[in-house]
Amino acid sequence: MQIKKVLSSKEIREIEAIIEKNYGCKVGLHNYRVFMTGEEKIWIASKDIDFGIFDVLKRCYRIGIYFGKLKRNRKIKLSIEGAMIVGRKATKNVVFIGEKEAIKFIQGYDVRADKLINAEKNNFVIVKCGNAIIGTGILRDDYIENLVPKARRIVKIDS
Amino acid sequence: MFRERIEQMIPDADAFFAAEQEWKSIRANTLKISREELLERLQAKYEIKEMPWYENGFFIIGEDIAKNMEYYLGYYHIQEAASMLPPLVMEIERKDFVIDLCAAPGSKTTQLAMMMENSGVIIANDISISRIRALTHNIQKAGAANCIITNYDARYFDKTGLKADKILLDAPCTASGKIIKNKKMIEKWKYWRVKKMARLQKALIKAACNCLTKDGILVYSTCSVEPEENEEVIDYALQRFDIEVEKIELKEIKTRHGIKEWNGKKFEWATKAIRIWPQDNNTEGFFICRLRKC
Repeated sequence: MQIKKVLSSKEIREIEAIIEKNYGCKVGLHNYRVFMTGEEKIWIASKDIDFGIFDVLKRCYRIGIYFGKLKRNRKIKLSIEGAMIVGRKATKNVVFIGEKEAIKFIQGYDVRADKLINAEKNNFVIVKCGNAIIGTGILRDDYIENLVPKARRIVKIDS
Repeated sequence: MFRERIEQMIPDADAFFAAEQEWKSIRANTLKISREELLERLQAKYEIKEMPWYENGFFIIGEDIAKNMEYYLGYYHIQEAASMLPPLVMEIERKDFVIDLCAAPGSKTTQLAMMMENSGVIIANDISISRIRALTHNIQKAGAANCIITNYDARYFDKTGLKADKILLDAPCTASGKIIKNKKMIEKWKYWRVKKMARLQKALIKAACNCLTKDGILVYSTCSVEPEENEEVIDYALQRFDIEVEKIELKEIKTRHGIKEWNGKKFEWATKAIRIWPQDNNTEGFFICRLRKC
C-alpha cells in the first residue's frame, strides 16, 4: 500500500468541512489517523497506529479501512463503511428506500427513492432503509444510481 | 489409521465419528450493531439461540445465512463456534499491540478488533495473497480500523524485529477437527500430511515466541486433533524458549485437557491446555494453549 499523504489536523478539518457541506453533519475524523493513497482515496485507521511502524513493516498490504474518494468537484464518494460513519448524523443528501428496493440495491440494481432529505440531483447520496445505512448512490432524475462495489453485492438474496 | 489414533486419544471415539452439526454459528459484529439489535433483526427470519460460552455468538438455523441484508451490512460474521474461543483466552485489552500471524480469512482478527473496540493495533499477517484478499474484504466489511494487513511468511516474521503484547498463532493444520462438517476427510487423511504440518507449525511457533514481549501472551490454536500438531508443537516451544503454559478456564462449554502422553512422549503441562472435541458441544474440534513469556 503506497501512502501518498498522512493528513495533518488542518487537512483533516478540510475533509470534515467537505463532509459537512455535502452531508450536513460534523464527523469526528480527528478520532482516526486519516491518510490518502493514489486517486485521492481516503483511508482511516485507529489513532493508536504509529506510522513509524512502516519503517519496519515493508510488506504492508493494507492499513485501516477505506473511507471514500475525494472527487475533483470537492465531493466525497463514500464507501459503505464511510457512509455508515457519516450517515448516522447526516441531514443532507440522504435518501430513504423501502425494503424491496433495498434488496434490489444490494443486488446491484438502480432503485427508486421513497423519501429525499435535502438531496441534490446528480450528487452523491447516502442510502438508508429504515435505521440501516446501506451504502452510497448518485441521485439521478428519477432513480438512484447504484454504487455498491461488485465484491459487496449479494446477487441472490433472501427477502 | 485415523480411527485407531482417535481411539488411542479418547474413550468415546465412536461419538467423535458420529458427531453431527445441525446449527451454524455466527458472531455479532458489535463495531456495527449491538447484539440485542442484531438478535431482534435475525429472530424475525431465522431460528436462533444464544451461545452459552460467548455473549456475541449465536447458533442459527436457516438456508442462505450469507444472503440477507444483515450479512451484507457486516452486522455479523459467519464463524465456527469453537473458533471464537482463541481470542477469548488472550486476555485482550483495548490498547494492546497484537499480532495475528496467520490471519486470513480474518474471523478471529475481526473478533479481536471488536474486542479491542477498534483501539490498539492488530497486525494481521498472512503468507498468501489470495487469502489476503479475503482478509481485506472481511476487515473492511467489519469496519475494523485498527488492523494493518501484512504479507510475510510467518516463519520469518521475527526478522521484522517487531514485538507484541499478545500473539495469536492459529496455525495452518490438517483440520481433522472439521470432521463434524465433512466426514469424507477421513478418506483423505494421510499421516505424512500431519508430519508436514507439524514441521511448519514448529517453525511458526518459533517465530511467534521470538516476537513476544516479556510477560507477553501467545495463544496457539489449531482445528486439528492430532497430538503431533498440538501438544508436540507446544512441547517443542517449551524446550527451546523461556515460556510457560498457563491454565485455560472457560465457562459454559465442555472442554477436555490436552493429551498427556503420545508416542512415548509425556506432556505434564497438558492439563493446562484445552481440547474441544466435536461430540462434546457439536462444534469443530479445537486445540487451544496459552503461553506466557517469562
